[in-house]
Amino acid sequence: MQQAMKVTVKSWTGVATWRWIANDDNCGICRMPFDSCCPDCKLPGDDCPLVWGACSHCFHIHCIVKWLHSQPQQQCPMCRQDWKFNNK
Amino acid sequence: MIKLFSLKQQKKDEEGSARAGGSQKKASAAQLRITKDLNELNLPKTCSTEFPDPDDLLNFKLIICPDEGFYRGGRFVFSFKVGPNYPHEPPKVKCETAVYHPNIDLEGNVCLNILREDWKPVLTVNSIVYGLQYLFLEPNPEDPLNKEAADELQSNRRLFEQHVQRAMRGGYVGASYFERCLK
Repeated sequence: MQQAMKVTVKSWTGVATWRWIANDDNCGICRMPFDSCCPDCKLPGDDCPLVWGACSHCFHIHCIVKWLHSQPQQQCPMCRQDWKFNNK
Repeated sequence: MIKLFSLKQQKKDEEGSARAGGSQKKASAAQLRITKDLNELNLPKTCSTEFPDPDDLLNFKLIICPDEGFYRGGRFVFSFKVGPNYPHEPPKVKCETAVYHPNIDLEGNVCLNILREDWKPVLTVNSIVYGLQYLFLEPNPEDPLNKEAADELQSNRRLFEQHVQRAMRGGYVGASYFERCLK
């Protein structure tokens, strides 16, 4: 007669990975990887999110906002089209 | 999730204590970025860099030795000063070699669009190197800093060429003295 082995799970730890889905690996402004954070932040993720422009270019939000604030005209630093946030 | 938040808190605590101790030195955003720029630097064969203080990546020199055009055979030194706001502001670039050039004045100020109004943070040190190299290949009389040189380039190319040569050999062009800068 066969006997099934009994396993009792006493505890478990969930592990997950994440990454940003962007059309590039690095932020064009600070050159840090998108999966890392901008130089002013400590931890990547929700505290240092990415934003896309209507022109499809993508940056760390802190990098692009800092750049836009320093400019008289709000243009994408990559393509110079007027910068509009793409709320996708 | 709870672990993540406690990690964050732990990190914050560490920072707090580090700041209190004042022992930890952190690279600034400008330093981080310039390190990347320099690592990815792909210099044309006419250019080289020099770091007077190897620990200070924010202040360095670029040497351009054009191998064609009006300035062939010359050796021109540019100083780069990278400010704390880099890459949101361009590096300050000055020409340390006296040169008879429409876009470089006798104080060493350089007129290159990407060093001023057309700077964007996606540009790198490499972009500036190529811009400067281009100035020597195609001096632009439309946007002059040395008006005399610009007018001459437009009205009498041969005379302009002679004056460039004279300045590079060392001597006077008009009332201005130029130190010899041939290789």
